[in-house]
Amino acid sequence: MDVLSGWWDDYFWGAVVVGQVFICSLGLMIIFGLFGAMAKLSNNRVAQKIAGAYTVIFRGTPEILVILLLYFGSAITLTAIAQIFSPEIKFVDVPPFWAGTIAISIIVGSYATETFRGAFLGVNPGSIEAARALGMSDLQTFIYVRIPEMWRLALPPFGNHMLSLIKDTALISIIGLNETMFVAKQAITVTGKPFTMYIVVGAIYLGFSTIITLAVMGIEKFGERTTVGAK
Amino acid sequence: MSFDLNLIAESLPMMLMGIGITFKLLIISGFLGLTLAIFLLLMRISGRWYLSFPAQVYIYVFRGTPILVQIFIIYYGLPQFETVRDSIFWPILREPMGCAILALTLNTGAYVSEILRGGVLGVSKGILEAGSALGMSVRQKFIYLTAPIAARLALPAYSNDVISLLKSTALASTITIADMTGIARTIVADTYAPYEIFISLAIVYMIFTFGIQKLFGVIERYLGRYTQREG
Amino acid sequence: MSTSDAQPLIQMQGVNKFFGSFQALKNINLEVRKGERIVVCGPSGSGKSTMIRCINRLEDHNDGHIIIDGKELTDQVKDINAVRREVGMVFQSFNLFPHMTIVKNLMLAQQLVRKIPKAEARETAMHYLKRVKIPEQAEKYPIALSGGQQQRVAIARALCMKPEIMLFDEPTSALDPEMINEVLEVMVDLAKEGMTMICVTHEMGFARSVADRIIFMDEGEIVEEAAPAQFFDNPKSERTKKFLSQILSH
Ligand SMILES: Nc1ncnc2c1ncn2[C@@H]1O[C@H](COP(=O)(O)OP(=O)(O)OP(=O)(O)O)[C@@H](O)[C@H]1O
Ligand SMILES: [Mg+2]
Repeated sequence: MDVLSGWWDDYFWGAVVVGQVFICSLGLMIIFGLFGAMAKLSNNRVAQKIAGAYTVIFRGTPEILVILLLYFGSAITLTAIAQIFSPEIKFVDVPPFWAGTIAISIIVGSYATETFRGAFLGVNPGSIEAARALGMSDLQTFIYVRIPEMWRLALPPFGNHMLSLIKDTALISIIGLNETMFVAKQAITVTGKPFTMYIVVGAIYLGFSTIITLAVMGIEKFGERTTVGAK
Repeated sequence: MSFDLNLIAESLPMMLMGIGITFKLLIISGFLGLTLAIFLLLMRISGRWYLSFPAQVYIYVFRGTPILVQIFIIYYGLPQFETVRDSIFWPILREPMGCAILALTLNTGAYVSEILRGGVLGVSKGILEAGSALGMSVRQKFIYLTAPIAARLALPAYSNDVISLLKSTALASTITIADMTGIARTIVADTYAPYEIFISLAIVYMIFTFGIQKLFGVIERYLGRYTQREG
Repeated sequence: MSTSDAQPLIQMQGVNKFFGSFQALKNINLEVRKGERIVVCGPSGSGKSTMIRCINRLEDHNDGHIIIDGKELTDQVKDINAVRREVGMVFQSFNLFPHMTIVKNLMLAQQLVRKIPKAEARETAMHYLKRVKIPEQAEKYPIALSGGQQQRVAIARALCMKPEIMLFDEPTSALDPEMINEVLEVMVDLAKEGMTMICVTHEMGFARSVADRIIFMDEGEIVEEAAPAQFFDNPKSERTKKFLSQILSH
């Protein structure tokens, strides 16, 4: 473990970057997923088609291609736009953090689209009708009946989406994000111990996955308790 | 900025030269991964803790860490040890291709074994009791009842995993392998035309994904003919 | 026939069965001789299924002895499957093998357990399919058959093993009313041929006409054991009376 001394703080900051990417992409992923689901459930033909294409495209394309395309593509596009305003600009640097975060949230959002759609359709129409019959308003029905039931249906697959996100952050190192993979690479050039350095990365990710898994389990337990209590 | 169709026409054939490698990765690691998954499954359902516990740990670790980290540990990491370099496996582990196949196999094996376990758990208890009541042994019940029924139940999830595996093969490009994605990255580095190259390649992957889905659809209908009342 | 007529085919002596701390069977004593037809009834949860499932060791008992055709069921029984071969069982939910055609359902255990060659197994299968009056369904999958047909296939499947004893666990209670009779007819035929049978059923008409003895269970105990005439017309226990009044009133 001697070789690792001196690298712990770098790994720590790398892990912080992983955490930041995760938080940001989680928020975006939920937005993409909800929009996708709403479009699929809407009566608008065009919206349905677009959402359908969205899910097909990002389920069938390797993640790394999406990340590379977004990173290099946005650099070119932004450079072109910038040159319209000030022609002397040679190149616009796109931060890998945002290119990568957006890329993985688009990808996982395409899976979340199906999850949210399924959860919405899976709500038992009987319980909605029952709530109406009890005199609850549309809003009350939505908040007290539909949301909790959707949540129960969506949580297990949603946990898997979070695991996908955390693991996909590793791919962003390919476009130069200074997360743990990147730290390992630097450490290897100095120490010449690639196995040790990448194992640490693996351990950090395993830690993140464990936290997410336990959190989902905890929320599931909590949800069970409240629904049992409600009966 | 414009979409250069000539460039696509020129580079698509070059990228398609990598098709053989992409398929080699997919088919070899798909086959080996399925074999590994079956072993892991048998360990898990053996009812013996010294078999099921290691299998569970294995699955947990390989599902809890990014595949890219696994690839790097094997390709960059293992040669750190002299015993590895002196072993009979060195001819395989020296080659990027061998490392990529090994990593993909180990990774998909963990996922598929969970999918298969889902199938096994889905076999109704009553059917197995009927087997017992007829005097069938544990082994006979597994081979003639559990395995075929579980295989049918696991097939849809398995086809999704094959698609994931196809997408993961693109990561072989990160360890110098010239699969379709590897070639595409080289072309983009030369031409700096990410849109044309990556989008056209994404379409190629989507066509393969579609093909895999259709193929499994056919297998599903064949294996599942007993689930339809007609025919 | 390995048994002498003097020795009972099934003997249960002081059998107790626990699920955790819950006692599902309490001191069960039962003897069934060759050719006897026993009907078991009682309220839900009284332990009827548990009792007959102990006979082919789908459940293992905690105390007492269960002796089938001279072989005692213990943990040490090397070949429980040898005993199970003697004991056919029909379940409430049919439990046909969904991925095999009807005839394959009937052939599988013959080939695997009794090591009968394929052609002969098929012949036997077709013979019993004719007996349950559905030979024309042989090549279909179970899902294509009605519930009554499926249950008749399940009976034929058990018979293919040439069992000494047949156990039925509420074979008609998952069936639509119009299908119950076709299954009962098959069971009556079996009884007429002298098959040793234990039937858990609430079909009281069947019990009255076929059973040699009726056993009434409640809360894990055998409360009453009597010939049908006495059981229906002159039950001894209050619990039996109450049960009969409930079941015969509708
Ligand atoms: N595997 C089990 N684990 C725990 N308890 C069980 C189990 N199987 C049965 N029991 C309990 O044992 C009791 C007897 O069950 P059993 O199935 O034998 O009743 P039964 O008389 O067949 O009822 P029914 O008419 O509903 O089929 C019930 O209280 C049941 O809850
Ligand atoms: Mg029962």
